[in-house]
Amino acid sequence: MRVVIAEDNAILRDGLVGLLTDRGHEVVAAVSDGDALRSAASALHPDVCVVDIRMPPSFTDEGLRAAIAMRRAQPEVGVLVFSQYVETRYASELLADSARGVGYLLKDRVADVREFVDALTRVAAGGTALDPEVVAQLLGRSRRDGLAELTPREREVLERMAEGLSNSGIAAALVVSERAVEKHVANIFLKLDLPPSETDNRRVLAVLRYLQG
Amino acid sequence: MISNSDADLWQAETAMPRRLPRYLTVFRERRTWGELLYALLGLPLGLVGFVFTVVTLALSAGLLVTFVGLPLLALTGLVSRYGGSVLRRLANRLTSADVPAPEPFHGKPGVLGWISSCLSDGTAWRARLYLLVKFPLGIASTVTAFVFWFYGLMCVTYATWRPALGCNRTSDGKCHHAIGFTDSWQADTPFRIFLVTIGGIVITLAAPWAIRGVLWIDKFAQRLLLGPSPTNERVAQLERTRAVAVDDSAATLRRIERDLHDGAQAKLVALAMNVGLAKEKLAEGGDPAEASRLLDTAHVTAKEAIVELRDLARGIHPPVLDAGLDTALATLVAQGAVPVSLSARIDERPDPAIETMTYFCAAELLTNVAKHSGARQAWVDVRTHDGRLWLRVSDDGGGGARVGSGTGLAGLTDRVATVDGRLTVESPEGGPTAVTVDVPLHVSSHGGAV
Repeated sequence: MRVVIAEDNAILRDGLVGLLTDRGHEVVAAVSDGDALRSAASALHPDVCVVDIRMPPSFTDEGLRAAIAMRRAQPEVGVLVFSQYVETRYASELLADSARGVGYLLKDRVADVREFVDALTRVAAGGTALDPEVVAQLLGRSRRDGLAELTPREREVLERMAEGLSNSGIAAALVVSERAVEKHVANIFLKLDLPPSETDNRRVLAVLRYLQG
Repeated sequence: MISNSDADLWQAETAMPRRLPRYLTVFRERRTWGELLYALLGLPLGLVGFVFTVVTLALSAGLLVTFVGLPLLALTGLVSRYGGSVLRRLANRLTSADVPAPEPFHGKPGVLGWISSCLSDGTAWRARLYLLVKFPLGIASTVTAFVFWFYGLMCVTYATWRPALGCNRTSDGKCHHAIGFTDSWQADTPFRIFLVTIGGIVITLAAPWAIRGVLWIDKFAQRLLLGPSPTNERVAQLERTRAVAVDDSAATLRRIERDLHDGAQAKLVALAMNVGLAKEKLAEGGDPAEASRLLDTAHVTAKEAIVELRDLARGIHPPVLDAGLDTALATLVAQGAVPVSLSARIDERPDPAIETMTYFCAAELLTNVAKHSGARQAWVDVRTHDGRLWLRVSDDGGGGARVGSGTGLAGLTDRVATVDGRLTVESPEGGPTAVTVDVPLHVSSHGGAV
């Protein structure tokens, strides 16, 4: 996996480079601001970028701005946004177009190295990785439409879907059979009024539905 | 304090080959002619204001028994207010008197409410008083302006119009084409004409100053009667300093958040990352040496995070302050780069907020000493006297410190003002520098800081 890292804090940047290299991935560039990230991404065509939201010069959300711009220009490049805080607004902006190849994780998650690398791999492959914390906040915010009708179990399943897990991943995480998960997912699609279709990814639509409240 | 424009002006004047003396340059000032105009307008304006005020007051008093009296009193109060405002703006425009505007009129709803708010409007009553006082002041200003300018210019030009004078026959029967000051002192010899001309020049030169002097009384009256009332001025000052305090604390919180985000928080994430990596290495049966290296890094990062958190906590509130300001200052001066001798005499313990503020003032001033002054020795002197706390930080450095020259003194001044304190800087070029902070011991209303 070819990775670009955009993080202005030297300790974290070096740590991430070491961690990913140790796991056998190739860090093709490690930069410290949004502009450098965009030029690195367009020049090097990485599989995925790890992006800190708060970077110079304004230390507000240039990482996010760069990530959104990059997703428009290079939709095939996965973006894992990496932050010390959970901001619902940031997550919604990031997911506004599609949930393909997007991740939003708290920086703390890097402590569980394996999960972090798994999430990054998932995003690189076009999947989704949302921090449970992000999902919880978004869930707390959006209780409209069919969402209110979901049972606690279905809600749990949807939560895991939003984190980017597949059905078998969800089954493992909730310690139930894959068959049971499939039933829950079907119910979710039904309650969220998402009929089967050739063109839409219902899974992503379901996630987006509750992310956007 | 010399502002930039003053400094430029000063340089421009020194650059001229010869500087004209002040008593001549005053005639070049726009203000001088504005003051002349304002002084001459004094009598007519004062007369109008006086007559209006006396007549309307008498009329309203006479009509009080009918229902017209009070509304008339209210209405004319508002007119007086407006007249006062016109005079104030005229004076500000012509004489640079700089009297601030009073608070605007707020009428309560309803006719009765409106009348009662007019009648209870202190500004209107003070304006009435000014209109009464303006009459004698106007007479004085107009007479002064007229006398000085008219007699001055007449005397200066005496030599030119004297020959046209008719015959002034003295008691000895002689005919003089001259002004006679006394019977025997007829100004028609060349020397006497010269004396009159010189006298005229002196009077003319004195005219701007005489007018300025008379108008100074007018300005005083305007400040007292047409400016904002003392209470409102105080409210405005409190609003200003409160805004500073609010901004200041918001900025402090932002700085703390930023320090945490970039410092300790990032270090702890890195720490967790390295420990996580080491854990996985050991769990997978990887190289123990590699795991040990990761743990070493994590250990160093953990210690750095501890130091950073401690520094940050101390920056928010130094724990040593709890032992008293003198102890805290003793610790502070011991850490400085420049040798500092401390003298403290604190007889009464100030409020904690005052202690904290004084401590950080001292810290910032000492930082300035170390950074800007080039001093070899500094002194910190703190004492309490008469309900106030005095802090004086002085050094033997190069001087030239000013409020607003990037030394943080402006920020300190604003911060000190939030508790009705003052900061004064004495720092001539070449030194030495002394900064004095004077704050009340107590800020709470019980302490009576106001």
